[in-house]
Amino acid sequence: MSEELDPVVARAVAVLKAEPDFGAGFDRRVMDAVRAEPRPGTVSAWWASLRRPREVSISPLGAFAIAAGLVALMLGSVIVASSWRFGIEQGAGGVASGGGADLRPVQFVLIMPEARTVTLVGDFNDWEPDGLPLQRSAAEGVWSVTVPLAPGRYRYSFVIDGTRWYADPGAPRAIEDDFGRPNSILTVGEQGS
Amino acid sequence: MPDADLVRRVLAGDVEAFGVLVARYRPRCARFATHMLGSREDAEEAVQEAFIRAYRALHRCDPERFGAWLFRILANRCRTHRGRRVRRDRLVVADEAAMLGASTRPTTDRAAWREEIARALAQLPADQREAFLLKHVEELSYEEMVERTGAGISALKMRVKRACDRLKIMLSGVIEQ
Repeated sequence: MSEELDPVVARAVAVLKAEPDFGAGFDRRVMDAVRAEPRPGTVSAWWASLRRPREVSISPLGAFAIAAGLVALMLGSVIVASSWRFGIEQGAGGVASGGGADLRPVQFVLIMPEARTVTLVGDFNDWEPDGLPLQRSAAEGVWSVTVPLAPGRYRYSFVIDGTRWYADPGAPRAIEDDFGRPNSILTVGEQGS
Repeated sequence: MPDADLVRRVLAGDVEAFGVLVARYRPRCARFATHMLGSREDAEEAVQEAFIRAYRALHRCDPERFGAWLFRILANRCRTHRGRRVRRDRLVVADEAAMLGASTRPTTDRAAWREEIARALAQLPADQREAFLLKHVEELSYEEMVERTGAGISALKMRVKRACDRLKIMLSGVIEQ
């Protein structure tokens, strides 16, 4: 530790370094759950991930936006999303198939010529650190990925080169994140039946 | 056995090798989550979820960097749990701020001192608490903190400093005799 700590804070740190005990049953509970999972990286694991319920927060504002999206869809629009589009056709390649009839393809696009890698993290993939990789398109510096999403309101962010979080410049910023990380808001509307 | 070998064994089908990783990383994960969330119950849930999500995504992990990768998953789970709890507390109109702001008193009791530390920690903004715990309790470098939090080095340094300043003020009045 290179920084000099105030003696009072240093004493608090010493107390905080004590490890709380989760009890002997904790490891067993984790391993029971893990044994019930398919082997990672297999087709069965991929299929299980599509069928797994996800937590999506819907605020009154989000519900209103969904309703507005529904009206727009009934008028012929395909999707409501809050990302830059740059004329890329919705539903183009990369859309996962299966996993429920109410999933909608949403394309995320970012222009970042200097990036070596860009991944997408958000409520929809439980903020998994590896995220969903965006593919660099033929156009200079244009990155995109298409993700099937159920109707709802999502927070998301791009991760540049594996470390730097970057909010979508074309989307509203989330105000709920109290960790100071840049997040954006996406609302996916329902498709009219 | 090194983490990387265990990860490769799990991916090859030896699920029990994951148990070694759980036992190895549980203490640090438990400590971080407990201090971040201020509740053992929430912390247990967050750590359990982190391990299960790590297992599901293990094929995307660089085996040489399993520890850092797991910690980033845990930090995200803590973040989600905290958001969930904020919403829950809003629903029950819990006046946590009033409770945490209650007058402090000098104490000689070790348990009470621990309680005061937890109380002070809970009063920090979440980003400062996270940065403080990672820097001074988990003893990570700022480069490692960037990897786990996604925040920049200067922002993290500022959060750590502010957290230390606030903790000093809050705890100076209750320092153990």
